[in-house]
Formats: sequence, C-alpha cells, structure tokens
Amino acid sequence: MMWLTWRQARIQTLVTAGLVAAFAILLLATGPHLVTLYRDSSFATCHRGCDQDASNFLNQLASSSPYHLIYLLGALLLVLLPVVIGLFWGAPLIAREVESGSYRLAWNQTVTRERWLTVKLGVLGLTSMALAGLLSLALGWWASPIDHAAAVGGSGGFQERFFPTIFGARGVVPIGYAAFAFALGVLIGLLIKRTIPAMAVTLAVTAVVLIAMPLAIRPHLISPVRTSVPLTTADIQGLTTSANGTDLQVLAGTPALPGSWVLSNQVTTTSGSTNLGAVPAACQPSTNAGPKACFSALAAKHLKQSVTYQPASRYWSFQWLEFGIFLTVAILLAWGCFWSIRRRLS
Amino acid sequence: MLWLTWRQFRVQAAAVAALVAAFGVLLLITGLRLASLYHASRLAACHHACDQAAGNFLNQLASTAPYQRVYLLGAALVYLLPAVIGLFWGAPLLARELDSGSFRLAWNQTVTRQRWLAVKLGVLGLASMAAAAVLSLILGWWASPIDHAASSGSAAGFENHFFPVVFGARGVVPIGYAAFAFTAGVLAGLLIRRTVAAMAVTLAVVAAVQIAFPLAVRPHLIPPVRHTTVVTAAAIREIHGNGPGDVLTGVGVGNSGVPAGAWIISNQATTASGSTTLGAMPSACGPSMRDFSPCATAIAAKHLTVTAVYQPPNRYWPFQLIETAIYLAVAAVATWACFWLLRRKLS
Repeated sequence: MMWLTWRQARIQTLVTAGLVAAFAILLLATGPHLVTLYRDSSFATCHRGCDQDASNFLNQLASSSPYHLIYLLGALLLVLLPVVIGLFWGAPLIAREVESGSYRLAWNQTVTRERWLTVKLGVLGLTSMALAGLLSLALGWWASPIDHAAAVGGSGGFQERFFPTIFGARGVVPIGYAAFAFALGVLIGLLIKRTIPAMAVTLAVTAVVLIAMPLAIRPHLISPVRTSVPLTTADIQGLTTSANGTDLQVLAGTPALPGSWVLSNQVTTTSGSTNLGAVPAACQPSTNAGPKACFSALAAKHLKQSVTYQPASRYWSFQWLEFGIFLTVAILLAWGCFWSIRRRLS
Repeated sequence: MLWLTWRQFRVQAAAVAALVAAFGVLLLITGLRLASLYHASRLAACHHACDQAAGNFLNQLASTAPYQRVYLLGAALVYLLPAVIGLFWGAPLLARELDSGSFRLAWNQTVTRQRWLAVKLGVLGLASMAAAAVLSLILGWWASPIDHAASSGSAAGFENHFFPVVFGARGVVPIGYAAFAFTAGVLAGLLIRRTVAAMAVTLAVVAAVQIAFPLAVRPHLIPPVRHTTVVTAAAIREIHGNGPGDVLTGVGVGNSGVPAGAWIISNQATTASGSTTLGAMPSACGPSMRDFSPCATAIAAKHLTVTAVYQPPNRYWPFQLIETAIYLAVAAVATWACFWLLRRKLS
C-alpha cells in the first residue's frame, strides 16, 4: 500500500523535493558569505543605538548583487510551495481516480477506501509539511543576519520578520499553510470529481486565503496595543495639505518600537478626530517662516500620535497561533474527506 | 467547429472573464476616488520641480487605506493571468484529448487535425491576449496618477513605470506574456500528452521565464547609457562604510545626471583607476564626526567617480514594443512547433 502510494506520487514528490533542494543549495552557497559580511559589519559588534549600523548593513546588502534577490525569491517560494502542493499533490489525488473510474476497482478490494485515504493523506500530508518545514528552516537560517538587522528598522527593501510578507515565510506557519493547501486540494478533488476544475478551484481558494489572512485576520488574532502620546516638534516629519490649504495631514516619524508590527500610525487631535483643522499661518508657503516655526505651530495644536501595533514579544505567539489555526482547518478538511468518501461516492 | 470549441472552453473562459471583471469593478470604484485625490493634490497643479509634491502625494496614498494594496494586487494579477491561462487554457487543450484517447475519433473525421488546432489556437489565443489587454488597460488607467507621480521619483513603495516589477504590469507586454504562456501550455501538452504533468511543466516554464527575463535579458535589449560624475564635496549625499575595518564601501551623489523616470540598472562609485575598492574611510568621517563638510572634502580628495548605468525614460515604449515582439515571436515558434508535431508525431 505504501509502495503504491509512493509509485503514484513519486514524480510530484521528486519534482517538489528537487525544487526545494535546488533552492537550499543556493542558500547554502550564498549563506556563509552573508554571515561573513555580517561579521565584518559594524552592526555585529554594536550593542546599543545600532539603528545606523543596521541600516548601513542592509543598504550594503541591497547593493551587493544576489542577496536582495534571494531574499525576495525565498519569500516568493515559500508562498508558492503550498499552492503547488495543493494544486499538484492535493487536487489530483482522488479526482484522478474518480475521473478515470479506477476507483471502482481500487476501492472495492480487501483494502477499504478509508484505509487508502488514511495512508495517502498521512504520507503525502506529512511529506508536504516536512518540505515546507525544511524550506522555512533553511531560509530562516540564511536570513537570520538580515532579520536581526531589520528588527532594528527595515531598510533597503528588507523588512522585519513580523512584516506581513515576511511573516508567512519564516518559522512554523509555512508548515501549517502546506498542510492546509494539501487537505483543501484533496477535499475539493473529492467534491468536484474532475481533476482540472478541482485544481483551478484549489488555486483560487488557496490564493484568497493566503491573501486574506495577513490583511483581514492576522491583525486581530490578539487585540493590538494602542498608544497615544502627545506630538512634539521632534516627532513631526512633515505635513501635507490639499491644494486649497485645507485638509491638513501631519506625518509623524515611526515610533521606536523595534521588531514590532505597526498597524497604523495616525496623528489626531486630543479628542481623537483625524480632522486636524486649518493649516497654521506659519506653515503656509506664502509666510515663508521656515520649518521650525511651522513645526512649533503644529505642536501648539496639542496633537496626539496614535500608534496601533503588535509588540515584538508576540511574534512567536502569532506564529504558533496561525500555525494552529491552519493545522486545525487542515484536520477539519481531512475529516471532511473521510466523511464525503463514505457518503458521496458509491 | 467554433461551436464545439466554445462548448469545450466556456467554463475556463467564464472563470477568467469573471476574475478580470471582478477586478475591473474594484479598480473602477477605487480609481474614481484616486483620480479625485490626484486632482485635489498639489501635484496636479504643479508644472516644474514637482519632486516634493509628487512625494507628498505618494506618501498620502500609502497612508490612505486601499490604494497601496490595490496597486500591489493589480501587479500580482497581471503577472498571474498569463500563468493561469497557460495552466488552465493551454496545457489541457490537447493533453486532455490525448490523455482520454478522444483524439483518435475526433481527429480522423472530415475536419482535419490541423484545422482543429488552427481554430482552437486562434480562438483561445486571441481570447487570452484580449483578457491580458483588458486587464492591463484598466490597471494602466487606474494607476496613471501614481505612475505620473512616481516618474519624478519613487516613494512609499510606488515605483516608476520603467522599474522591472511595474514594467511587466503596464502597456502591451502583458499581451505578449499571455500569448507566450498559452502557446507554451499547448506545446507542453502536445509533447507530454498527460494533462497534470503538462500543467506542472507549463507553470515551471512560465515562472522561470517571467523571473529570468527582467533580470537577464531586458537590461540588454538596447545597450544602456553610462553616465560618469566626478564626486565633489558639494554633491555627496550618502556615504556607506563597513564598520571594524573602516572601509569606504559606497558614495551616493545628489545629481548623478540620471534623468527622472529612468530605469537605473546600477549606480556604482569607483576610483580613478576604475576599481570598486574605495579604500579606507577618511578619519574625518569617523563616528565622532561633528560636521559633515570636512568628511565630504576628504572623500572628494579621493577623486572618485560615480558611474550610473541606466535606460533613459524615452526608451520606455521601444522597450515595451521590443519585449512584446520577442514574446509574440516565441509564441509563433511554439505554434509552428505544435502544427509540426501534430503532423509528424501523432499517429
């Protein structure tokens, strides 16, 4: 049974494993040099007030050839892997047997259809999780100098590991994504019973879930921390107005919250309104009073800077929480497979 | 024949059309708001030296809810559409008939296999190009205020329309991508003769080409322009150093002679002899630096030059047309290969 499962899945498995291995070799080849660059940078020996050293290191990496590219490619691959697994491992698993009719013979032998499903779901599901785990581990090792520097402040196109696009390419969540996409593909294949439509639906659902999760769900997994501090002249970085001089917006510098995920950074009045009123006379271009007078006039409005964020200490809570959610959904989908293979197929 | 082609193809066609339509509606709703934001901003009324107004407009958009997301989603969709077309329209077109054996009956009637292929390739190929064109056109309209602002300097994650990621999501190149992906899918299906395997190969080929082309081929389509600036104390804007060794690794100058809206391929400081090793960091630039000007003078004394390699902004449309022509030529070769294989290889 194991042998047949392997025979039926070997091409997909070998191709995906080959892809992961090729990328791992690329990481292994460039990683040691990245570590050397990190050791040689002033950031490695810096203990406090390291903002400048961190951004110097990141800017240096951004301008030396392969690192930024590999960094982006890695994030892309880790998002693509679950999609590929759902599409090419999950969806055809049952749909192909149903479509070709081979299930009528295969599932009415001494080995029951439930046992077939158990073995196939178990072996391929665990393999897909293992591949995603390996890729995430390799990329996490490779990017550790970058993530360490970016935690102080993103620069040169590198973001801290809590940032939405990077979060899903580190730690344990890729394993959850892989399990989810695989189980989803199998269930959709079982329900639709035709390979190509099942693949299309799997692609659409996986893409929607992977896009909606960071935008709509993840920010609210744990309720974010809100702080509100009076805005001082030192925090003001600039202002924008509409052409007729109303609709004032004040841009404030990002607060020093290293490694945290800043969800919003807004300047409001003391009552919490985002309507900041008229532009002070000192800030009108016609006055030509210079930035200092303008910024003092803005500070005299007693504005507040309201920041909503998820603190850096919650990173691993978020990782495990999201992993748990995807794994639970994957288990529910697997249960759905067992239920429908008994009920829906004669 | 057209009727059967439509019957076999209507589900895929409807799915892709629905995707394009749904995104089109989203773009229409947010696009009108974006246009009014643009008209209310200072950038719309600005005629020269608009860098600051453009930067303000882009920063404002980045902090206003949906625009940055729609911008990124649009680029992602334009890149995804050819892959989806290759995967779900191209690869199964012949592979499914070969897989199921229905080709033995279908291709030995009065309508020859070449005519079947011609009709299917024609109808679906034109449909895929039309889908890509519509998506690119709507996105181009939606993003025109952003592209206009970004042409005088990128800010807040919005890049100018010559920048590699944005380039492939604007203008006519998406049409070439769609034609290429579709014919590559059909050819893969004809060669491999198994649907799922053909889809996997198509995905791999399309992804590899889409990643490799902007990195390896596009910069060299027309030889780039080189502009060399001598580093003077007044022109220095940034200095990059390498900590413990106190090595100077990079110098940035304010006006490097690169026109706004150009695609900058590299911007490298070198010594007078052309070496990229810039030597030791001057002592005036150490961590205890109080004033920037002695440091800038010390760096200027090294007689460095900054060489910018770039594609000027007026080459944007030649690049679009050349790249589209290349993809269409590859699609034509793949089509020819399909006809050749159909005659020779299949009994």
